[in-house]
Amino acid sequence: MGRILIRFSEEKVSEPIAAQIIIEYKVPMAILSAHVNSKGGEILAEVPDDMEEKIVKAFRKRGVEVTVPKLIEVDNEKCFSCGSCIALCPVEAISLDQDSSVQFDKEKCVGSTCSICVDACPARAIKSVKNGAKKS
Amino acid sequence: MSNQAKTRTVEEINEKIRRGDAQVLTAEEMKRLVEESGVEVAFKEVDVVTTGTFGAMCSSGAVINIGHSDPPIKIDHAWINDVEVCHPGAAVDLFVGATNMSEKQPFEYGGGHVIEDLVAGKEVELRATAYGTDCYPRTSIKTTLTKDDLNQFCLLNFRNGYQRYNCAVNSSDEIIYTYMSKLLPRIRNATFSGAGELNPLMNDPDYETMGMGTRIFLGGAQGYIIGEGTQHSPKNLNGTLMVKGDAKKMTPEFLQGAAFTKYGTSLYVGLGVPIPILNEGLAKKTAIKDSEIFTDIVDYSVPRRDRPKFGKVSYKELKSGSITVNDKKVRVSSLSSLKMAKKVAASLKSWINEGQFLLTAPVERLPTNTVFKPMRQTEEIPFVVSVMHPAITCTENEPIQAIAERIVTKSVNHIVVVDNTGKLLGIVTSWDITRAMAEGKKALADIESRNVITAKPDEPLEIASKRMAQHNISALPVIDIERKVLGIITSEDVSRLLGR
Repeated sequence: MGRILIRFSEEKVSEPIAAQIIIEYKVPMAILSAHVNSKGGEILAEVPDDMEEKIVKAFRKRGVEVTVPKLIEVDNEKCFSCGSCIALCPVEAISLDQDSSVQFDKEKCVGSTCSICVDACPARAIKSVKNGAKKS
Repeated sequence: MSNQAKTRTVEEINEKIRRGDAQVLTAEEMKRLVEESGVEVAFKEVDVVTTGTFGAMCSSGAVINIGHSDPPIKIDHAWINDVEVCHPGAAVDLFVGATNMSEKQPFEYGGGHVIEDLVAGKEVELRATAYGTDCYPRTSIKTTLTKDDLNQFCLLNFRNGYQRYNCAVNSSDEIIYTYMSKLLPRIRNATFSGAGELNPLMNDPDYETMGMGTRIFLGGAQGYIIGEGTQHSPKNLNGTLMVKGDAKKMTPEFLQGAAFTKYGTSLYVGLGVPIPILNEGLAKKTAIKDSEIFTDIVDYSVPRRDRPKFGKVSYKELKSGSITVNDKKVRVSSLSSLKMAKKVAASLKSWINEGQFLLTAPVERLPTNTVFKPMRQTEEIPFVVSVMHPAITCTENEPIQAIAERIVTKSVNHIVVVDNTGKLLGIVTSWDITRAMAEGKKALADIESRNVITAKPDEPLEIASKRMAQHNISALPVIDIERKVLGIITSEDVSRLLGR
């Protein structure tokens, strides 16, 4: 499964674009998080790898911005593995490994759409990456 | 020492350290040895147990002497990297407090970061002002400094190494930011602090080996215990240490500035104490395990000195990642770093093994009878309960007309909507009624606010008053833990009492 971050502008948000694409391409799109209102918004979704390219193109054709999110950046120099972030994470993407080091599972993390851990880090080692890399 | 001896002395252990044949275990290793081979064997085999902790220790700071300028200045106010530092003594002695915050980046950068930056060898900017005297004529100065420019750079922490600490939760409906970090509403997470079975004081709970003059690991260098820490409370296993050390020799790995959102800044301090195993009793004490160390689960949503508790929990449960609060599983995470605590204990062990670190017997042991008193307050502050009065209520199926009449007859602006057991459902204001009239609405459900901001009876009035201002509202229903309406407070009540 590949992750895509779909951003709707104020002009586009009123159109049922996601629904149209799901129906047209019969894509089983899993919505991991969504923050949408009349001013626009973003949806983080998971789509099967073999359909990802097609789906990204379909959204872009309809004038919607799609990026492949790089979700979170952890500065391992700054992190001293207190673990304050662990219990906050709603998707349990953070854990302590064998030697009590904090580990981030970037596959599980839902990134900028959540960011609950960012302001709880006393070392300020976590950055949520707002602008994901453009998917070519 | 003969095999039969029941005690050994610090001097005997130091002799072994010099010869390179002292047996040193970390506290973790000691627990395993005692479990496998028993106390007697552990006492025979082990000379020293090293402990460690690495947590946010707010009562930390550094005394620095910056030398005299020409012409000289008697500093009145001073800032380092825009963090105000205090001038507790003569002309150029300063104290950098870990929790003082930068005036330009408050809550993000503070005294703890200044100490870390200096320890790391970075250049910091000093600004100072003075009133000028005949002997110290200068009235302002601006310069940059590194630790090499300082005459003394002494880490001086007046409360470190807390024996154990609370586990924090938040039962309110709103997220709160505390020194125990971010606490999600309705007890959706918990935080704790402390190294548990690795903590120095926990491994010598009668303070047999610790006190003034005990040489320790502090911030990556050698330091000393200089006495009991502030708020030292040994009778309930809340002992603390006052420590000092030469920060010029410390390393930024073991002294790290920290920022707690909406709380402030602090300093994480690596601290480890070697415990000489002088007798079998100490061998047994250093075998203490997380499962035997308990702490309280405390509700930080109640901003009082004595906060409500939800029972006790062991450090074993805390370190497992989840605990049970009110029969509900709650995920818990640590604020102090277990990884770094282990690293402190391991570093201290290797220093002793390499003969670089000799033990000292305390000149005076830590007291075991200090009591931590609450503040003597000569002025009473008002609480919600002192101004609250009975709320005028209605039920959800009453017609708006009846509610409008009640507002007039009782001459109030707020009607609290309750169910038939008296539990809070919503609130209606005279303004809502006016709007209903204007818009022709008939049902209470269309006009009442259901997301009601509330107060608790034992909250300080000032906090409730701030909440009103923050939400731009003029009354708060007062409810108990079951959301039963006890009364109401209004902004008029507050202004009458607080005079604003």
